[in-house]
Amino acid sequence: MAVKPIVVYPDPILKQVCAPVQAIDDEIKQLIEDLVDTMHAGPGSVGVAAPQIGVSRRVCVIDVSKNRHGKENNHGLLLMINPEIVAKSGGAVMREGCMSVPDYTGDVERATELTLRFTEPDGNVREFDASGFEAVAIQHEMDHLDGFLFLDRIASLKTGLFRRKSYK
Amino acid sequence: MNLCRKPNLAHFAVTIIGKDRTGIVADTSEVLFKLGCNVEDSSCTMLGGEFAMILIVSHEKPFSKKKLEEEFAAKTAGTGLSAFVRTLKDDEVCYQGPEGELCLISVYGSDKPGIVYRITRELADRGVSITDLNTKLIGKPTEPVYVLVLEAALPQGLTVEDASALLEKLKKELSVEISVRLITPVSL
Repeated sequence: MAVKPIVVYPDPILKQVCAPVQAIDDEIKQLIEDLVDTMHAGPGSVGVAAPQIGVSRRVCVIDVSKNRHGKENNHGLLLMINPEIVAKSGGAVMREGCMSVPDYTGDVERATELTLRFTEPDGNVREFDASGFEAVAIQHEMDHLDGFLFLDRIASLKTGLFRRKSYK
Repeated sequence: MNLCRKPNLAHFAVTIIGKDRTGIVADTSEVLFKLGCNVEDSSCTMLGGEFAMILIVSHEKPFSKKKLEEEFAAKTAGTGLSAFVRTLKDDEVCYQGPEGELCLISVYGSDKPGIVYRITRELADRGVSITDLNTKLIGKPTEPVYVLVLEAALPQGLTVEDASALLEKLKKELSVEISVRLITPVSL
């Protein structure tokens, strides 16, 4: 059990593009365990990316199955090494927060359907379609791997009378 | 959006601010309702521990600003609420939508004086019109982080890329992150 402290902005690691994982060695497996432990320790957390615990590598973990928005539509615990979004479509706005930016939330527009490809800890390459809240969580965590925070994605300060958004 | 001014209506801007408590909106709207005023546009929000309201209200003529002020003074006496009323001129009533592309600009970084000033001066000098702006101080007391998010209309001829390039030099000067993105709404 290794619950790591969450790195908060302005720590510069959160703005870096993380390095890809070349080989799944013991260090990477330990990193994944730490990420899972840290996610489970965070109240209501549905995902943690490696830079959030101070490691600039393209690794993140996600599990929306216990969240009210994701419990009906999810792939369980996802342990993702070098994740890539192969395709995405749709769009919806959700109010997001982040453990690395405490005490602040913002409306962010994200794709609602995506095709994801990543390597699992056993080396298998997995590809599947995600949608809804799980898709949003995946995009949020993957943004961390490219040095983006939700602050860089805020879509709206107000709702204009003639601005229509589609919600699912 | 409010309709354009009708000659039979008098328009006023009403600003209400005071320590937050339950019932400020109800008290304010009660005054307006009893006077027969129509709320044409409004924005209310929390700022620190204060609740702030700005309303554009109308009333059939003849109707005086003094009447509004008196009623608010009576209602807010002893409550700690402040009320301010201003008569609007003809050209202040109609909403003038921005002509150029709308963009959203996020600025965040370690707190220091001058972030809002430097960013907004740079935009103003290039004819960029700010339509909405929020700031928040977040982070740990030992390491405060300032977040500024603003919505702005770009003048004709200035692209999002231009706006981004315009603010690029301020990233280093202010030690902040700045991102600019297009949010012009589409009708579907």
